Amino acid sequence: MTVTFRLNGEDYRFRDDPMTPLIDILRQERFLTGTKAVCREGFCGACTVHVDGDAVPSCLKPVGLLEGCEVVTIEGLSAGNQVLHPLQAAFEAADAVQCGMCFPGMVMSLLAFMRDNPDASRDDIKAAMVGNICRCTGYERIVDTVADCLAQQRQTAKVAGGADV
Amino acid sequence: MSEASVTVMNLPRRDAQDKLRGRTKYTNDRARPDMLHAVLLRSTVPAGRIVRLDVSPALAWPGVRAVATGADAPGLYGIGIADHPLMAIDTIRYHGEPIAVVAAETEEQARAALAAIILEIEPLAPVLTMAEALEPGARLIHEDWRGYEVITEGGARAGNIAWEAKSSRGDVDAAFARSDVRIVESSFSVGRQSHVPFEPRVAIGSWEDGRAHIQTSTQVPWTVRNVTGRVMQLPPGRVRVTVPPVGGGFGLKFDASIEPITALLARMTGRPVMLENTRQEEMATCLCRENAEIRIRSAVTAEGEIVGREAVVLMDCGAYGGEQVFLTTMTAHTLGGNYRVGATRLVSRAVYTNTPPNGAFRACNGVYNTFALERHTDEICDFLGLDPMEFRKKNVLGDGDFGPTGQVFEDDVLAPMLDRMETLRAKTGTLERKADGRLYGMATTVGTWFVFTGPSAATVNLNADGSATLVTSGVEIGSGTMMQSLPQIVAGQLGLAPHQVIVREADTDAAGLDVGVGGGRTTVSIGAASVAACAEVKEKLLRAAGEMLQTRPEDLVLRDGRAEISGRPGSGATIPAVVAHAQATTGPITGSGAFTAKNTPAMAGCAMGHFIDALDIPVFVVHEAEVAVDPDTGHVEVLAYRVVQDVGRALNPRAIMGQIQGGVVQGLGYALHEEVTITTDGRIAQNDFETYRLPLAGDVVPVAADLYEGAPSLGPLGAKGAGEVPILAVGAAIACAVSRAIGKPVRQLPLTPPRVLGLLHDREPQPDFPHIASGWAANTLG
Repeated sequence: MTVTFRLNGEDYRFRDDPMTPLIDILRQERFLTGTKAVCREGFCGACTVHVDGDAVPSCLKPVGLLEGCEVVTIEGLSAGNQVLHPLQAAFEAADAVQCGMCFPGMVMSLLAFMRDNPDASRDDIKAAMVGNICRCTGYERIVDTVADCLAQQRQTAKVAGGADV
Repeated sequence: MSEASVTVMNLPRRDAQDKLRGRTKYTNDRARPDMLHAVLLRSTVPAGRIVRLDVSPALAWPGVRAVATGADAPGLYGIGIADHPLMAIDTIRYHGEPIAVVAAETEEQARAALAAIILEIEPLAPVLTMAEALEPGARLIHEDWRGYEVITEGGARAGNIAWEAKSSRGDVDAAFARSDVRIVESSFSVGRQSHVPFEPRVAIGSWEDGRAHIQTSTQVPWTVRNVTGRVMQLPPGRVRVTVPPVGGGFGLKFDASIEPITALLARMTGRPVMLENTRQEEMATCLCRENAEIRIRSAVTAEGEIVGREAVVLMDCGAYGGEQVFLTTMTAHTLGGNYRVGATRLVSRAVYTNTPPNGAFRACNGVYNTFALERHTDEICDFLGLDPMEFRKKNVLGDGDFGPTGQVFEDDVLAPMLDRMETLRAKTGTLERKADGRLYGMATTVGTWFVFTGPSAATVNLNADGSATLVTSGVEIGSGTMMQSLPQIVAGQLGLAPHQVIVREADTDAAGLDVGVGGGRTTVSIGAASVAACAEVKEKLLRAAGEMLQTRPEDLVLRDGRAEISGRPGSGATIPAVVAHAQATTGPITGSGAFTAKNTPAMAGCAMGHFIDALDIPVFVVHEAEVAVDPDTGHVEVLAYRVVQDVGRALNPRAIMGQIQGGVVQGLGYALHEEVTITTDGRIAQNDFETYRLPLAGDVVPVAADLYEGAPSLGPLGAKGAGEVPILAVGAAIACAVSRAIGKPVRQLPLTPPRVLGLLHDREPQPDFPHIASGWAANTLG
């Protein structure tokens, strides 16, 4: 079976078993190893990518379901020497990263969450992170960083909104 | 300018950007199309004899390039005693033990070929618990235990007792016989903890110019080098180990395991070979924090003076001795730590069972012994009607006090730390109101750990662009030492900015011996070796600058990238100019440094079978927890958590805070819901993220921490390792808090809701160990 989808802004055609999990194509065919295969059962969130804007675990996504979809991986967020996304930059500035293996998935999950929940509270953020496990950091610095970024985002929106009036 | 003012800073990590962009190539990201993939045939029984093993059908399978068995690498390895084959030879000792390995062009081909291997095993009745292993006449898990090579002398061994370590100081019998003492006895039992690093154990082997090259996710490149040499019966110098960024270790990767297999297959095939544990394999064969059984007895006066103490600690090493052999030593310093005690005798035994081997895990041995000691302390206070905080303040180790091996502790550290905890609590307030009708408990506990010093080497090359390259065998496992404290230390010594210090990834061909990243030792040992290397660099640099500037070297200082005349900022010459001068006149500027501990001795006759006699650098913690227990469900919610940690000197306070938060949360998992159980057929029952319950964001609280500086340390600038100890007293603090909340003794971890409910309703059986004799001496090999 042939499946065609967009991968990080480019067309990608796959010809093989449509039940192949997306993560295997990313890591083994495209060498996009930023997407991490940790549990391969949908619990850890380290393999999260965006499919048509939704954050999904790529280990549970059969490639056969991707016809015509837009897939973005962590590598697709900022190409080449482009600046980091503000959330990534905030994690760097806060010294939030330790071993780092959960972070690509964490970033992909949280970006979709922040877009859809601009007014999220600290508790909301924690609830949203139920599908992203981190074994190193004990989470709180990640939660603080997301809360700060959301506050920043609201501030920016307010200023922009104010300018319209 | 003081050394500290140019070294201490909240330097961010240089590896964060690539990690956040997904660009960092961990070992398991390094598969290439030309690599072979290896998979292991593992035992599906916990004990048995291999009566037939025929791998030839697998060799005929499409894509298969090699099949190896234990006979291809028959050397034995281990810590203390060499009892461990790379793959089972004749005897199966645990469920999951590797028996054979297939290397093929693809993983699928390798898996298909595995199924073709002919294997017949005659099963044996497994010995699954320490109680069974210690029964008189129990089947020997290692029939040939007497024949094993002893790598470190001194431990008593017999049958299923892989190693026994004892410490003994003073007349314990006399202390217990005193008429003015009350005797308190407690028994404790804890299960295993699985590390669950996000990157599993993985290695890529290649055979280059007649030597093995192993790239691997390890904390101990030199151990991998030496073990590979042993099992392949090669001089270890024919093995090179390099270490890419490691996706989490926590102690799991403090021993060699599957790495040598890749070297073996690479030699057989002439091709690079990758072997990676699946998550299920990783959890089924995890070198867990060991399950343990502890009995402790104390003789205490009515005023609360501990005049005598004795304890027996049984540590399950699983099928092979491994790290537990070494860790028997630690009981003297963990269970024997914290308090001033009159006479003391302690025995700890590593016991073989037909279960997956255990290993090292952050603050190994200390985590459960601290739980046992602190709960025992609370039981003493209950029994004698003493206030637990006052008891601790009165009895914690202080200046001039003796440890169980006769070590003399320097300075009062724990007592002022307890005061600092009270100050911290006054600042944060308490959260009893959040218990909201549930049972509330708060407890303050203490813990004693150490920095595992041991040998390290460092080389510093000063480059003509003003940068310095630091070459060591250190590994970045996530704790940040290679990214933060080491470049900070080198920059501080040489008057550079930390970004000018290039830190080389571990390569046993490039850097000298190192015992590995663990035990909180990297900042201390590699840091001290780096300081020594910098001293040589500095001396050469100032000599060259003196020659250039016609000034005496002793009048020069290194500051802001210049060799300046002391007290005249901006004078002198830039470091690149001096380096260029030196390169043209005396040659490139390089320095090397080495460090090892001074080996603080024990008192004569106090330590038997110990790998270290005393703690070169003790580290103390004070942990305080507030919990709410739901009496209907048994669920424990952690309301607040506070830490005062002895850090010597905080080189990067923000990074240490990150280690404390992460370490405490790992401890909360251990205390509350990370549970490993062994099935009747000897398997670890929890082999995925659904059955092994890791802490999630919603489970945790922000830890309030105060860094206690100024306690004595051999470390650079007085630093101590800060990443290991945050987990040390979490089980203790949670158990004591829960016990106070529910008004029942807590003697087991983890405190899962069913267990807490059982305790509340007096349905939970308390640990009772018929296999631990009531007389202490009967629990020793004499």
